[in-house]
Amino acid sequence: MKKFMTLLLALVMSVGMFTACSKPAEEKVEETTTVTEEAAVDLTILKEADDKMLNTYTVIAVDPEAPFTDADGNAVSDVAVNTAGADALIQWLLLEDTAALIAAYGEEEYGNTLFYNLEGAPVYAGEIAPATEETKTIRLSTTTSVKDSGLLGAILPVFEEAYGYTVEVQSAGTGKAIAAAKYGNADLILVHSKSQEEAFVEEGFGRVLEGFDAERLSFIYNYFVLCGPSSDPAGVKDAATVLDAFAAIAEGKYIFISRGDGSGTHTKEISLWSADLGITAEPESFASYTEWYTSANAGMGACLVMAEEMEGYILTDKATFLTFVANNGIM
Amino acid sequence: MQTAFMKAISLIMTADASLIDILITTAKTSITSSLIALIIGVPLGILLGAGAFKGRGILVMLNRTLMGMPPVVCGLLFYMLFSGVGPFRHLRLLFTVEVMILAQTVLITPIVAGNMESFVSGISELIKETAKGLGLGRIKTFYLIMNESVYQIFSAYLLAFARAIAEVGAVSMVGGAIAWKTNVMTTAIMQYTNMGDFALGIALGIILMAISLLVNIVLYVLQRRLSR
Repeated sequence: MKKFMTLLLALVMSVGMFTACSKPAEEKVEETTTVTEEAAVDLTILKEADDKMLNTYTVIAVDPEAPFTDADGNAVSDVAVNTAGADALIQWLLLEDTAALIAAYGEEEYGNTLFYNLEGAPVYAGEIAPATEETKTIRLSTTTSVKDSGLLGAILPVFEEAYGYTVEVQSAGTGKAIAAAKYGNADLILVHSKSQEEAFVEEGFGRVLEGFDAERLSFIYNYFVLCGPSSDPAGVKDAATVLDAFAAIAEGKYIFISRGDGSGTHTKEISLWSADLGITAEPESFASYTEWYTSANAGMGACLVMAEEMEGYILTDKATFLTFVANNGIM
Repeated sequence: MQTAFMKAISLIMTADASLIDILITTAKTSITSSLIALIIGVPLGILLGAGAFKGRGILVMLNRTLMGMPPVVCGLLFYMLFSGVGPFRHLRLLFTVEVMILAQTVLITPIVAGNMESFVSGISELIKETAKGLGLGRIKTFYLIMNESVYQIFSAYLLAFARAIAEVGAVSMVGGAIAWKTNVMTTAIMQYTNMGDFALGIALGIILMAISLLVNIVLYVLQRRLSR
């Protein structure tokens, strides 16, 4: 009992100390908030809505008959893929009503449309099969931007409620999201890297849905944006095109934060550097640029923080950037 | 930091549904895996610490190596095994709480065993001598050692639980951090960090530490009482 009392006393004391310590600390935070808030909004969008910065999202159903192989390269034939579930989700994503839902997303929270409907995108107008016991779990492997921007969280419940499915969303960079499908761990993918999508289809992993004419169904887009310190030392704002902007950054050796993780954003960034720099996903290709080219190998949010801290330039999808600004302002 | 604290408090006060789901998944995963690790690890540790058999040294060394297994490697291994193309694909276990528990158990059991081994090897000679004097058999000696190690068993469990609840590499690989299913505190913190919502990340961190404190208080009291 004595010991118990000692313990209780120690607990009370620690709580007391905690509150005593935290009070002046809180005051200090208040003093510095104004400073950090200014710093938080320092990273600004310098270049956007350039045709080269178009960020198109594509949905692809996984083919159960695809040439799956295990880690040692041996063929695996009986991979379980929920084709009926994938069909239902893709059909729903291509409905006109869903398009309206996606277009409206972000207006309320960020005062800014985050995703636009792609003109000429395939449209579905038929029936959607409701879930059955076998088909109700749909594994969607997708990129971080559609999940972290809150888009999937906003629209998927509508689909789940209407048709009785459960969508299990795993999000990772496009490279990893596609790899998950190749390992037989996804029924469909929603990604944004044309070259990687085409390779995926070419290898035979894509499936053409009934009534559609291609494996790759591109349906929404937004823009990548080039962000940097508001002082813009490289003069990116005045550059005629985004390619000129990237050239100016490389020319002046201004800090640039690269995702470096094989994501769609990373793939896009690599395509924007001038060819004579020779920057690719391989670490050797930028070994001589390490004084300014920073390959972070991290998620979008972590990279944005890094850009903010190092006063560097960064390529990001607009949705994640707006979320970042909205949240970091209050830290 | 102030915002983070406020967020943590408001999350708890409003009993945020997704937070509660994450908490339940976290508790289910870390408690189950640490308990299984305890059940396997304690006898194994006693055997390694007090047993006299050939190859004991090698087993001890092997166990100590496994103690240092990086969680992400363990996760990757289970990911490959239970993948849609892996050898155990028919079990359909990838992205479930069950496989998260399995991966964590593999990760934690060597830690419990190693912890017990180093303690038991210090006291085993004396106890074995006493047991010999009393004419006790092997099983009774085992119980005697167990009885003498109650305090240590609690410490080993706390270590296992701490590792399980704080671990992110393995659970994010095999669990996939799927909302309402396999998302635990650590993977949720990772997600919010990647989204740039640091305040919410820290808020979850504060809640996680608070739970850890509660578990520690309860076990500390129990440990004191039982090992007296």
